[in-house]
Amino acid sequence: MQYTYMLSGGTPVIKKYKTAASHLAGIIVLTPAAEATGVSVSTTTGWDNSVGLTLDRSLSAASPIAYSTVQGDPEPTQSVIVSPDAVLRALLVGSAVNVALEQRVVGTASSNGLTAVGTTGETDPSNPDMDEGTVWYNSGSNGGASRKITSTTTALTVTVIVPFAANRVGDRFITIDYSQGQVTGVTMSTNLLNVRGEMAATGTTNGATVDLELNGTTDSYLHLVQLNHAFASS
Amino acid sequence: MHTILVKKEYTKKEVLKANEAPGKKKGLTSGSWVHDLCSLQKVITLCPLCQHKFNPGRLHYIRDKDMPICIATCDGCKTFDTHCAAYFYEPTFKTVRSTAADRRAERTAYRKREALLG
Repeated sequence: MQYTYMLSGGTPVIKKYKTAASHLAGIIVLTPAAEATGVSVSTTTGWDNSVGLTLDRSLSAASPIAYSTVQGDPEPTQSVIVSPDAVLRALLVGSAVNVALEQRVVGTASSNGLTAVGTTGETDPSNPDMDEGTVWYNSGSNGGASRKITSTTTALTVTVIVPFAANRVGDRFITIDYSQGQVTGVTMSTNLLNVRGEMAATGTTNGATVDLELNGTTDSYLHLVQLNHAFASS
Repeated sequence: MHTILVKKEYTKKEVLKANEAPGKKKGLTSGSWVHDLCSLQKVITLCPLCQHKFNPGRLHYIRDKDMPICIATCDGCKTFDTHCAAYFYEPTFKTVRSTAADRRAERTAYRKREALLG
């Protein structure tokens, strides 16, 4: 993830914290666990008591140094943006190992613009359920337009209330289960850097979606804030 | 004489305050310490009075122009300053920071690509 801006428009606070393991740059770290040597790593769905976003990769295995408790070795530390209202930008990916998002192709045209129906063989948008998420087109008369999904069916269909223009067979569209202002939680990829767009929202409250950058299958992003931050919760 | 021991319940903020890195050791010069941090590819934060002593380009560091100031402890003089500058190790900068110029370029590339695909 990348630090993007402050929700309040202010200046970020950067702290150098002791760490408990080899953490990557660009991931969320949590308050130290009991008897740990410093801030702990988050999980793919768990950001409880988050401290912030790491800014340097100082402790990735052996590059440039490995986490060490040997006497005489440097103390492992990392810079962390600890501001609770820091907006983080996460790439949307299509799996735990960061493949591209699935691009669906319209298989049945919709003249009233209230549905987007995919093609047989594509992943059904009702499983994982994209309901209450976002659908956007990358081609055709709706290229660049997006709508909030209000329901999905097993017939490869997502439904919206504010209609698109009529689409045609072959138009390309993408669906995700996140929409602006949503607080239903995200699932991160295994390396904790990106958000899995092919999954349904988790129901946990790790991150809220402030905004969306809806581009293609490899360059669309979520803007997130941490909902259970150590310096913002009781 | 008896002593009553009262167990202290530390707050999350106190635990995190105790976890802050202490900075350079006694006797080490600021320049050496900052170069040690650079060799470990850490983010360097410097207060306005220390900034002119640091040459970021020579050490493959860049200053984030979209984030002209940050609130941090100066790696040079250990002063907590609300007008520090953050210097990032260039190869990891894009991993942790998104600037308006990057987002604009990405959006432009996407539009061009989609226009070609039709």
